[in-house]
Amino acid sequence: MSTDHGNNHQVSTDKTSADPRWFQRAVFYEVLTRGFYDSNHDGTGDLQGITEKLDYLEWLGIDCIWLLPFYQSPLRDGGYDIADFFTILPEYGDLADAVHLVEEAHRRGIRIIADLVMNHTSDQHPWFQESRQDRTNPRADWYVWNDDDLRWSEARIIFTDTERSNWSWDAQRGQYYWHRFFGHQPDLNFDNPEVQTAMLDVVKFWLDVGLDGFRLDAVPYLFERDGTNGENLPETHEYIKRLRKEVDATFRGKVLLAEANQWPSDVVDYFGDGDECHMCFHFPLMPRMFMAIRREQRMPITEILAQTPDIPDGCQWGTFLRNHDELTLEMVTDEERDYMYNEYATDPRMRRNIGIGRRLAPLVDNDRRVAELLHAMLFSMPGSPVLYYGDEIGMGDNIYLGDRDGVRTPMQWSPDRNAGFSRADFARLYLPPLMDPVHGFQAVNVEAQQRDRSSMLYWMRRMLAVRKQHPVFGTGSFEVIPSENPSVLAFVRQEGPDIVLCVYNLSRFAQPAELPLQRFDGKVPVELLGRVPFPRIGELPYFVTLGPYDTYWFELDEPS
Amino acid sequence: MNDPVGTIEELLPEYLGRQRWFAGDAPDAVRIVEHKELEEGFRWMIVDADGARYQVLVGFRPVNQPPEFLYGNENAVLGTVDGTLAFDAVLDADLARSLLARVAPGEKADHVRPIGVEQSHTSLIYDDRLLLKIFRRLHEGPNPEIEITDKLAAAGFAHVAAPLATWTLDDSSHLAVVQPYLVGGAEGWALALTSLRDLYSADYDDPAECGGDFAGEAWRLGEVTAAMHLAMAEVFGIKEGDPEAWASMAEAQLARLEEEDADRERAKEFVDRLRAVENAGSAIRIHGDYHLGQVLRTDTGWFVLDFEGEPARPPEERHLLSSPLQDVAGMMRSFQYAAAVALAERGAADHDELVPLAAAWEGRNRRSFLEGYLRTEGVDALLPNVDDRPIALTAFELDKAIYEVLYERSYRPDWVDIPRAAVAALLEPKDQSSERGPLSLG
Repeated sequence: MSTDHGNNHQVSTDKTSADPRWFQRAVFYEVLTRGFYDSNHDGTGDLQGITEKLDYLEWLGIDCIWLLPFYQSPLRDGGYDIADFFTILPEYGDLADAVHLVEEAHRRGIRIIADLVMNHTSDQHPWFQESRQDRTNPRADWYVWNDDDLRWSEARIIFTDTERSNWSWDAQRGQYYWHRFFGHQPDLNFDNPEVQTAMLDVVKFWLDVGLDGFRLDAVPYLFERDGTNGENLPETHEYIKRLRKEVDATFRGKVLLAEANQWPSDVVDYFGDGDECHMCFHFPLMPRMFMAIRREQRMPITEILAQTPDIPDGCQWGTFLRNHDELTLEMVTDEERDYMYNEYATDPRMRRNIGIGRRLAPLVDNDRRVAELLHAMLFSMPGSPVLYYGDEIGMGDNIYLGDRDGVRTPMQWSPDRNAGFSRADFARLYLPPLMDPVHGFQAVNVEAQQRDRSSMLYWMRRMLAVRKQHPVFGTGSFEVIPSENPSVLAFVRQEGPDIVLCVYNLSRFAQPAELPLQRFDGKVPVELLGRVPFPRIGELPYFVTLGPYDTYWFELDEPS
Repeated sequence: MNDPVGTIEELLPEYLGRQRWFAGDAPDAVRIVEHKELEEGFRWMIVDADGARYQVLVGFRPVNQPPEFLYGNENAVLGTVDGTLAFDAVLDADLARSLLARVAPGEKADHVRPIGVEQSHTSLIYDDRLLLKIFRRLHEGPNPEIEITDKLAAAGFAHVAAPLATWTLDDSSHLAVVQPYLVGGAEGWALALTSLRDLYSADYDDPAECGGDFAGEAWRLGEVTAAMHLAMAEVFGIKEGDPEAWASMAEAQLARLEEEDADRERAKEFVDRLRAVENAGSAIRIHGDYHLGQVLRTDTGWFVLDFEGEPARPPEERHLLSSPLQDVAGMMRSFQYAAAVALAERGAADHDELVPLAAAWEGRNRRSFLEGYLRTEGVDALLPNVDDRPIALTAFELDKAIYEVLYERSYRPDWVDIPRAAVAALLEPKDQSSERGPLSLG
């Protein structure tokens, strides 16, 4: 445990687990600081607001909060355009609020990681302001400058809607600067050792504050090399290894979670030999989970899991259903491009949802059975699940807010004014809360669902509790149990004597399945939510019937 | 135990009559022509039933301790033989494991289970890893399935389960084969029905809007089918197709129909039009019994199964080279069958409203399959001229539909209206431009 600014009392009140591999079994919860809870009634959520809602998150049963960027920023890219790595955005609070939040979270056994953008800064960042002055200032070489805009033309343009080139002209310096994302986000020059060190200092600063790690945004693009597309270069991996080494040398139990929106077989490179990132997001699984339910068959899921390589010991996938971004079809292999074209782009309903932010509930036509099925699958498949704030109560979205704001509306705490999110005047809110009759805060809110034991929120809490009792969900082996019924997905998670069998009906009709479980001959499946024992497994295929969108989680016990 | 062979011979006719893999009712004359005790309580035999050869495997257990695996499988019991219960040995896990070791020496498995019911063979799965296929009806010479899958795999066609080991008689007829088991696969037929059940219950008029849309799978299936034909052509060679042979085939098939099945005048017109075809494309070795039940969707794409040809056709005919359109036609027919069977499942209540949906589903998946097929590079060269493709495809669909009428009339009379309606529709003189769209691609 690092000593955090002399807060020695924290050691005794820190209830986070001592296991340095906690993240392999954790459930993450993604929070938009702006949208979670407004403690000072200025219309914008803040860090103190999150602190005040920690009891709720503890009650829900999550293990780690992931904060979207909270740094000083002109907010032209949702805070991913950082103007000062060491300062909190004033609307969100100050450093003391961050320290307080971390302490209070740790006191409840909850960890906190935060977004960190390594690749670039805002053009408002003092580093860039200095660098653009002339070609000789002390930070002249902290960004990537060039006399023409022709170099590295192999690198694709990521935001093709807004950017026409990866180079932008800076009149002040009289040169072009390199940016893989927006023109207002110049790329840092990682070939400069000072930049490398400066970013390590940023990381160490926040770990000293007490953060438990980072979600590293846009990691594949740190370096540029002639004749390459500038992605996943060996130099980038070298730097991540260095970062990991320095973190491990000083701290314990910290986690680095990479955002590399690439194919799993390429993403695994970011685990290194267990010496780069602890976690990477598994991107293709999410659209395929939605497709599997739409097609009422398991193939889209089992196909992608079969293509997912093993990861080094001590690593973990991060999996999710929804997050703060739109449903993208990042197309990285020809086969997947064909698949996505055939299955997504030609499907009028799925096509309508591409490229706009949607929350889970509207994506599944507000069908709670489907939302629960998706979550149950997410909680039981390999990887640590990442929930998006509000999805636990089935919040909706407002697509008319445009861009990605549609899924960033205030958390719906109660049926009170402003959804209980803020006591500010309605007009002052950063975004209006949802008020439609189906998803609006009158109908969907935490308070009402906490009173109703059959609510989605209670269901979620029960599932998380069961998951926590069975570490096998986090670290067990994974094996699909074949069934001739394509609508049934069954698999076994196993770690030593702990064996869990999960069976899902992806169809809206009741389905039968005969599962070849002979190797568990003699064991008794016990349903995990109600502890109901099922008939003993015998020499014959095990027969189960499932209602529409049903979920079964069984523990396979020795007969008593 | 005394020699049980005599008793078994007496029990066989009735037993055979109960087996799905036995063609027809209980035979009149059954003779055991060869037999061997593989081990204590496990006997292998070849029997002659009314002139056809079958492979029979018999296990024995004490009659007072009937094993669990026979419950619900009473059809697999031959009867009592000298104080023991005689039954189909494939159901006995111990004997099935012993059989695996015999067919594929060196292979071992902990768990075994039988799957499905097939017309010509019995399949066992070992540890979800290996599949042992026991051929029931035996023919002279090598089994086409083994020969073809072996060669296709060697030619780089990755969508078959190539043989790992085989078991043969002295005259080189195959008795059994061990293949990799395509774990987690689902039959195309099951997927198609899943799609259709969804469609029939949805409030959409267009299958494209419906969640269970099958068109993406149909497209990929078309691609795999084309790749299979290209590999077949490479391995077994290419001959020039013969339009006259098609016309004779169609004529002969049409003659087998009963008066009420088809309009004779239209049938004659159709044969005449077929005779006028100038270029028939290539004739290659084909699958021969291609339908949704013969393709398996796995996590690594579609796999093609069962290259034995139509069980009801004599083996000589199954080896004949033909146009690849014959397989394509088989799949087209299968789309119609799936749509019709899923419709029949639902009974009469909303039948009339759903008929257009069935047609829409069939049409959409036909087009998607054909596009996937025809867009595959190289397949164009195997096919007739673009102008002649629609009638050629129709001829093969008709051939298949007539085969189905005759089959259903014998085995499943309730279903005979499905292919009968197809025969009538196929004979209908029509503007073939609707099919020409996808058929002219490539």
